[in-house]
Amino acid sequence: MVVSKMNKDAQMRAAINQKLIETGERELLKELLRAKLIGCGWKDQLKAHCKEVIKEKVLEHVTVDDLVAEITPKGRALVPDSVKKELLQRIRTFLAQHASL
Amino acid sequence: AGGGYMDEGKDEERGGDDEGVKVPFGSSCHSHRAPSGRAGDTPGLRGPRAATPSGRLSPASRGRSRRHFKVGENWRQELRVIYQCFVWCGTPETRKSKAKSCICHVCGTHLNRLHSCLSCVFFGCFTEKHIHEHAETKQHNLAVDLYYGGIYCFMCKDYVYDKDIEQIAKEEQGEALKLQASTSTEVSHQQCSMPGLSEKYPTWETTKPELELLGHNPRRRRITSSFTIGLRGLINLGNTCFMNCIVQALTHTPILRDFFLSDRHRCEMPSPELCLVCEMSSLFRELYSGNPSPHVPYKLLHLVWIHARHLAGYRQQDAHEFLIAALDVLHRHCKGDDAGKAANNPNHCNCIIDQIFTGGLQSDVTCQACHGVSTTIDPCWDISLDLPGSCTSFWPMSPGRESSVNGESHIPGITTLTDCLRRFTRPEHLGSSAKIKCGSCQSYQESTKQLTMNKLPVVACFHFKRFEHSAKQRRKITTYISFPLELDMTPFMASSKESRMNGQLQLPTNSGNDENKYSLFAVVNHQGTLESGHYTSFIRHHKDQWFKCDDAVITKASIKDVLDSEGYLLFYHKQVLEHESEKVKEVNTQAY
Repeated sequence: MVVSKMNKDAQMRAAINQKLIETGERELLKELLRAKLIGCGWKDQLKAHCKEVIKEKVLEHVTVDDLVAEITPKGRALVPDSVKKELLQRIRTFLAQHASL
Repeated sequence: AGGGYMDEGKDEERGGDDEGVKVPFGSSCHSHRAPSGRAGDTPGLRGPRAATPSGRLSPASRGRSRRHFKVGENWRQELRVIYQCFVWCGTPETRKSKAKSCICHVCGTHLNRLHSCLSCVFFGCFTEKHIHEHAETKQHNLAVDLYYGGIYCFMCKDYVYDKDIEQIAKEEQGEALKLQASTSTEVSHQQCSMPGLSEKYPTWETTKPELELLGHNPRRRRITSSFTIGLRGLINLGNTCFMNCIVQALTHTPILRDFFLSDRHRCEMPSPELCLVCEMSSLFRELYSGNPSPHVPYKLLHLVWIHARHLAGYRQQDAHEFLIAALDVLHRHCKGDDAGKAANNPNHCNCIIDQIFTGGLQSDVTCQACHGVSTTIDPCWDISLDLPGSCTSFWPMSPGRESSVNGESHIPGITTLTDCLRRFTRPEHLGSSAKIKCGSCQSYQESTKQLTMNKLPVVACFHFKRFEHSAKQRRKITTYISFPLELDMTPFMASSKESRMNGQLQLPTNSGNDENKYSLFAVVNHQGTLESGHYTSFIRHHKDQWFKCDDAVITKASIKDVLDSEGYLLFYHKQVLEHESEKVKEVNTQAY
C-alpha cells in the first residue's frame, strides 16, 4: 500500500474514524443523522432542489455526479445548527468513553 | 496485501500481487455489445457512450447493468460478501477490517466518496479521481461506493442500477443494521431504540394493483393548517366522560399517534378480539378517519369492563384511575399478556407504552446519623401532586415566594405547578416516629427522604390530588393551580439536587439543555363535586390550536381558556423529540 502523506490532524481524524467504525458507532450515528435530517425537512428541501436541477437539464443527460456537484454546497448549508450540535455532542461523548485514543 | 478481502479459498491464485486475488466479477463493460440496430432495438446496453453514433444511452438501457458483468454462477453471493465486508458491516470482525483497510490507496483518506474496485483489491477516492485513474490504467470499469453501495460504471460515467442488485443491497443493509442494534451498547443505541429509528422504511413503490386502486379512488386528502382530521367527538355511554377525556388525550399524544397510524402494532394476544392495543389502533383509525360525526366507543368500554373490573359499571369513575388502568392493560397486551400472567418487569420492557410513559422516580433516604444514602429507582407513569389545603399536605413555603421558573402566571397567593413539583422533590425529614433501618449503622435512625426524577419520560403526566378521601372528610379541593405551556424539568432531576441544596433553584435563561423541556398538549378537567361531576378535556391539535372535548361536542378553545382551567390531569410532551417543521429554539450557541 502506498504510504499516505497525512498530517497530524488527518491522522487523528483517521484514528477517530477507525474507532467509530470498529465499534459500530458510525452506522448508528449515520442512522440518527438520517432520521434528524428527515424530521427537520432537510431531505424534502434537497429533493425539491434536485428536481429543479433535473428540470433544467435533460433527464438523459443528468448523471449522479452532476447532481452531487449541484446540491452538495446547498445541502451542507441547509443542515440545521441544532442537528450539528447534537451529533457533535454524541461524538464527544463517544470519545470521552474511549479515552485511550 | 488486501486486508480483509475474501478470496473464497483459492489460495493458489494469490501471488505477491493484488491482481492475483479472485475477482467476483468479470472484466466489466467488455460485454457491451456493439450497436447493431436502430435506436431502441436492443433492450441491453448499446455500448459505451463515446462509441454510439447518437452519443447517448436511452434510459431503458441504463437499467441493464447486469450486462456489465460476466454473469458468473455465484455473482449474487460474491456481491453479498463485498457488501458485508466493505459497505454495511454487521459483525465486529468485518467492522475491524473495514476500519483498517478502507482508505484510499493513493492518498490515504477515508472520506471523499471512497470506492472499491470490483475487479481487484483497490480502494480509491472519487473526489480526487484516484479511483478513476485506477479504472483507466487497469481497465477495471466497475467500482462500488463504500458509503451507499451504489455501483459505478466508468464507461457509462454514471451509477448503474439493477433490480436484483438493489434487492441484495437492501437486504444486506437491513441485516447489518439489525446485527448492530442487537449488539451495540454505545450511547447512540439508546436513541435508536425510539420508534422509527431502528427500522428502515423504504420508499413506497407502487405495485400494479395499487396503481389501479389509486386510479379508482381519485379523491385525495390534503393536510392544510385548518385541517380537522383527528378531531372527533365521543358519545357518552352513561357516565363514561372519564373514559372519553382520556381517549382524547391519548389519541392526541404525538408519538403514540405516530405509532398507531403507521400500523406498528403486531398483536400477540391469544384472542385478538380481547386485545386493548388492537382496539386502541382501531380508535385511532376512527378518530383520524375524517368522519365528523361522533364515535361510539362501545367496544372500548366493553374491553375496559373485562380487563379492569374495578372500573366496570355505569357509576362515575376517576379519570386518573382509568388512565393508569388503561396504560397497564395496554402495556400487558403489547406483550401478548393475559390478565393471568405475572406482571412484566417494567424496567426491561420495550413496549410502546413504556417507551413513551415510563419515567424513573428516584428515592434517596439519607441516614441522619452516618449520612449514608440509600437510593432506589422505581418506574412511574405519572406524578401525583399534593395540593395546598389538603389535610395531609404540608406546605413549608408560601406559594409563589420564589420567582417562577417556568413563566407561569405569577400572582402572589397563586400556587403554580412548579411550586407543587418543588414541594414534591423537597427533602423531607421523616421524624422520630418513622425511623428507617440504616444498613451501615445497623440500627434504626432518623432520616430524610427526597424524591427526584432520575429518568424523564417522553410524555409526563401530572395528577393533582383533588379528591380527598381521608378519615375526616371526603371532598374535592378546587384550588386553582397555575400551569405553564412549556415546562423545564431540570430543577427536579436527581442530577440537580446539589445545585438546589446550594440554593440555586433559579435556572439561567440559557440553560442549554433542551432535553428536559416539555410542551403541554392535553388537559383533563373535572367540574362538580366528588359525588357528582363531569370530565372534559382540552387537546392541542396542530401547533397552537386548542380544542375543548366535551363528550360528543368539540369546540375551538383559546390558550387562555386552557391555562385558566382548574386542571386535574396535565399531559406534557418532550420538545426535543418532536419533528415539526419549526426547529427547536436555539438556547445556547458555542463556537466550534
